[in-house]
Amino acid sequence: MFNTIEEYLDALKIEMKDADAALVQDAQADAREHLSTALSVAREAKPEISEADALKKIIEGYGTPEETASAYQEVERRTSPVIVQTVKPRSLLGRFFGVYVDPRAWGALLYMLIAFVTGIFYFTWAVTGVSLSISLLIFIFGFPLALLFLLSVRGLALLEGRLVEALLGVRMPRRPLFSHQGMKFFDRLKTLLTDKATWLMLVYMLLQLVLGTVYFVLIVTVLSLSLSFIAIPFLQEYSQQGAMTLNNNMRYFFPVWSYPLWAGGGFLLWTIFMNIARGIGQLHGRMAKALLVSE
Amino acid sequence: MTEFAAQTKKFQKELNSGTSSLVLLSVLSRSKEPLYGYQIAKMLEESGPDIPMMKQGTLYPVLRSLEENGLLESIVEPSVSGPPRRYYKITSEGRTTLEEWLEIWKQTKKFVDAILKG
Repeated sequence: MFNTIEEYLDALKIEMKDADAALVQDAQADAREHLSTALSVAREAKPEISEADALKKIIEGYGTPEETASAYQEVERRTSPVIVQTVKPRSLLGRFFGVYVDPRAWGALLYMLIAFVTGIFYFTWAVTGVSLSISLLIFIFGFPLALLFLLSVRGLALLEGRLVEALLGVRMPRRPLFSHQGMKFFDRLKTLLTDKATWLMLVYMLLQLVLGTVYFVLIVTVLSLSLSFIAIPFLQEYSQQGAMTLNNNMRYFFPVWSYPLWAGGGFLLWTIFMNIARGIGQLHGRMAKALLVSE
Repeated sequence: MTEFAAQTKKFQKELNSGTSSLVLLSVLSRSKEPLYGYQIAKMLEESGPDIPMMKQGTLYPVLRSLEENGLLESIVEPSVSGPPRRYYKITSEGRTTLEEWLEIWKQTKKFVDAILKG
């Protein structure tokens, strides 16, 4: 029924078309590992056996694509996601302030900070890699360098996926995307180059610098604004001076009745931002999924 | 007939979904070195009954969920031919869990046997 491992994998993909893309990628990696090991064992025992005949027996033991697909979906249903999403019907106000106990919001904040650092690294790596690879292609050693670079992009994409899943709670691949084995060097390079996934990953790496910077600036700005609003009453009472300096070097002393407004406003501003950060995190997770997970 | 076969298959599947975690943990606790999926499948095939109890493909998602729950840990190593292999090893948490599960299994077995004997 299946003449090659690829045919089985394609059938499995079709069978899992409703499943999460990350789960599909994991299932493909497992099936590829098992089937190719079993196939090489079968060939050692009987060198003249055809791939189709050998696969028929192997798949009898491994399970049809349908059976395999349902096994993955079954286990996935029982496995708790990394960040448990508590969906309790709450009032609008409860949801607004409930952001403080939502792990997704804190995860998103942390992610936005980290994205600044990783973004700079990804961008540098991508730009250096692409330009070095292209310019050194006139030499023979440019080719292995290009291959290594493209493979490193896949590795980084997996790593970024793990980060996104841990902090943003979006299901991402847990296994590396495997490029076809048993290929000649140039074919392998060609497959990587013509694979849409490679380029999408590169786009993500470049984009991450911009996003990472915007996220970082947003956090720092809003955090310092909210904290200074909250600090106004304490500052004025402690130093007995106005908190705001006017043009003519005079200091404006905010009236005491406005203290609750300042402190409350600062708190409110941060709460609003936490809600926004949670949304940004979800959006970013969706974007990461679209760019880093190949269907 | 097909209805009947489907029911039997479903029953087998439901039984397996509970026992496969126990079986996998126990295989890995007895092994001195980390094992990869195909090796585990082969071991089960050799020591199992003539009729295959479960499809090998169903082992992989279970291995993965055991790892996610901290009962197993794994490393990926490149293989000479073909895709890289994931080697699984039991954790100390996995060993303590296995002991508890074995106790539950013994109780369940005793209970079911007693009922079936009537």
